[in-house]
Amino acid sequence: MQHIGSRSQRKSVTQKLSWWAQLGHALDRRERTLPSLLLVPVLLFFIIWNIIPTLWMVGLSFYNYSMISGRPARFIGITNFADILVDNSVWLSFSKTLIWVFSTVAIETALGLLLGLLFWGSAKLPGRRLALTMIFAPMMITPVAASIFFRLMYDPTFGVISWVISLLTGQAAPNLLGDRLTAFGAALAVDVWIWTPFMILITLAALGSVPRAELEAAQIDKLSWIKKFRYVILPNGKFILMLGILLRTIDSFKTMDLIFSLTRGGPGNTTELIAIVLYRKAFEAFNLGWASALAVILLLTAIAFTSIYLFILNRKQAEEA
Amino acid sequence: MTQGRTRLYHLLLWVIALIFFSPILWIALASFKTKDQILATPPLFVFPPTLANYTDFFSRQNVGEYFVNSFLISIVAVLIAILVSFLASYCFSRFQPRGTSFMMFILLSIRMVPAAATVVPIFLMYSAFSWKDSWPALVLFYAMFSIPFSVWILKGFIDGVSRRYDETALVNGGSRLHVMFKVVLPQVRPGLIAAFIFNLIFVWNEFLVNFIIGGKTTTMIPTALMIGVANNLGTDWTFVATLTTLYILPPIIAIFFFQKYLLVGMTFGTVRGEV
Repeated sequence: MQHIGSRSQRKSVTQKLSWWAQLGHALDRRERTLPSLLLVPVLLFFIIWNIIPTLWMVGLSFYNYSMISGRPARFIGITNFADILVDNSVWLSFSKTLIWVFSTVAIETALGLLLGLLFWGSAKLPGRRLALTMIFAPMMITPVAASIFFRLMYDPTFGVISWVISLLTGQAAPNLLGDRLTAFGAALAVDVWIWTPFMILITLAALGSVPRAELEAAQIDKLSWIKKFRYVILPNGKFILMLGILLRTIDSFKTMDLIFSLTRGGPGNTTELIAIVLYRKAFEAFNLGWASALAVILLLTAIAFTSIYLFILNRKQAEEA
Repeated sequence: MTQGRTRLYHLLLWVIALIFFSPILWIALASFKTKDQILATPPLFVFPPTLANYTDFFSRQNVGEYFVNSFLISIVAVLIAILVSFLASYCFSRFQPRGTSFMMFILLSIRMVPAAATVVPIFLMYSAFSWKDSWPALVLFYAMFSIPFSVWILKGFIDGVSRRYDETALVNGGSRLHVMFKVVLPQVRPGLIAAFIFNLIFVWNEFLVNFIIGGKTTTMIPTALMIGVANNLGTDWTFVATLTTLYILPPIIAIFFFQKYLLVGMTFGTVRGEV
């Protein structure tokens, strides 16, 4: 305040009004252009790395274009989309993806809730930070690395898991990833290992949002565990749990790296989730027109998921306001 | 609880932690085994450790290059992303230009798109412009890859800083840039740290894009791992185990030290709190 005051005092009283006006104008000018200036970099990134490639892809989805045939792209209208909709293998992998999403999310949520509740009272655990780091480690490492651990452990000749199974059953060690019957379940188990920690984290966050007073009241009323969960924990924590489950659903739908490095969709097509179909069409068959059409469909699915997520988030914020 | 029951409870928690960690321990153990020990049946739990894999590892030519690529590409990309995102999220938070919520929605959508669907358009554009295997092109892609997350986190944190600070500083004759970088920035430091650490981990872990649009000079570790595993001559297990062990170390160390940011980091900044 000091120097503004002294500056205005130096100017004559008759100029005082114009000084205020000047300042206002200067601010106005800045206020009008500054916001747009701040957005220039992010918009540049957005246009070059999102809008242009996406429009390109949407355009290409109406063409018959294969990179290996060497023929120029030919406009075929919505034929690619029509092909996808009547393609049995696409529907098959869509249903596989749905089964995958449903089972991973269900198992991980159940396990996460259970372990999260178990870890709730762990504040005095010696070496808690290290223990939590060990639990959360699976979700922080790349799925490619995770798949390597399990390829080593599932290996029919020297894998430790196969060895244990053969000890328990008394039969020859199974080839878990190579067998049509077990490959899907074996891949599922890896996903559960990676992402259960996420649901533990979410559960702990949800439990942390329960007000202490309500818990103490439940303690005094001697509520049973089930009632405590149903009437105290769930009403307070359900919003965080919902966000967590939804995020997990979206990520499970996206699963790609893990399957790609575990089985490449095999054996046969037993683990071929929709993202793997897209990958194979685009980068193994180089049928980019068809692949673009499928990518457009997945893009729209993702936008739908996002809308649901934001709907829940905004409703909660509106409730709080 | 009695003391005995508390001990038992703590023991149980540690056993669970060890179960979750055991696959990682197993690969770390494998990196100290000889090739025959890794391939032994039944699997060896006790063995004389060897450091041969590590000495062999560091004598390989390309390996250093993969690590340098992974480190530099992720750090440069994330720094660019955070600067760009800070400017944008300050604008979104304070000026709320028309379309702010739409922009935030689109940014979140980018995060929700399956990687295979993201990489197709990027592949089309990068092949057409011959940007494949180019350092700057890959860095800038990863910057864009990190922007949605950073904007969401930073906007949340800037929203939490009262506008009074901005107003006071402006009245005192500070410029907008002064307000942004000297007044607001220091107060959102936890947000900056969370955005930095988690984007670093995400880029460090990213595989598909590097695999598709990278090349000889821009190979990062996951791509090297995939190539090492899917080798025609069979998997070179000693090399793969050593590379994996070294590769997963930084993210694990990071979550040990930055555990309180884990929740913000894994939920796009939409859930706050600590575990």
